[in-house]
Amino acid sequence: MDIQLKRGLLDVCVLAAIRDKDSYGYQIIKDMKPYLVLSESTLYTILKRLESAAMLTVNSIEHEGRLRKYYHITDKGVARLEEFKEDWKEILAIHQFIFREESSYE
Amino acid sequence: MNKEEFLRALRDRLSGLPEADMEERIIFYREMIEDRMEDGFSEEEAVAQIGPVEDIVSQIMSEIPLTRIVKERVKPRRKLKTWEIVLLILGFPLWFPLLISAFAVLLSLYITVWSVLICIYAADLSLAAGAACGIFGIFLWLRAGNPAGAVFGAGAALTCAGLAILLFFACIWLTRGLIRGTGRILTGLKTSLVGKGNDYE
Repeated sequence: MDIQLKRGLLDVCVLAAIRDKDSYGYQIIKDMKPYLVLSESTLYTILKRLESAAMLTVNSIEHEGRLRKYYHITDKGVARLEEFKEDWKEILAIHQFIFREESSYE
Repeated sequence: MNKEEFLRALRDRLSGLPEADMEERIIFYREMIEDRMEDGFSEEEAVAQIGPVEDIVSQIMSEIPLTRIVKERVKPRRKLKTWEIVLLILGFPLWFPLLISAFAVLLSLYITVWSVLICIYAADLSLAAGAACGIFGIFLWLRAGNPAGAVFGAGAALTCAGLAILLFFACIWLTRGLIRGTGRILTGLKTSLVGKGNDYE
């Protein structure tokens, strides 16, 4: 997939992974595995970007005698997901436009 | 490679990054390895799944702007002593021109490499022009009633055209290589700046 397109999608994917319940790095990677393979370094960058955009907050919670970082979606993050739903309609419309010739051949 | 070895290698390669930034990444990778081990993988397997340190470092390098690395690198680790500041100011007429000239030399080297490439393009263009002239020559010789000359013109045109086409592909190949090389030099520069950040502590 095109890198630019993928980058935008990945941000939304990570938000979706923590939408229902706070999650941590490895769990996010595991949840996304059936849909797309995400490397640790890529995930780190996305989490940082989302954190500085105030779309998620980070809490260190003790687990088995060590600290684990849990990521919690903020209202702004939820709003971004809603916004993406609208974006997607636009993308679908563009998709339809791009392939309109093809369908008329059939 | 076990967990501590992996993290130590990562720390060494990232030691030129801002301290807090580096620590945060180390904590992140430590958690990733520990969660995998908890999930039933052995320590070695967990580390292997994270991928080679080199790959991680080069990805981090490609994301961080060069200016930020240089800023961190240039920042003194301790406060400068008074005599050092005095020396810096007094020495300014000396070190500043030296710094500028070192930079200028490097820049001109880089420009030279590109100039060579431009020359090759020019040679290629001349060959193409030669081919065109050869074809034009055929008609001139024919009009002058000199078939041997026309054959010579055709031969010369074909030779020039062939060389021009071959050289054109070589040019494209060299240009691509040079662009890729530039990217690699930039990444290499960043890596070397970040890699040995502790040598003047």
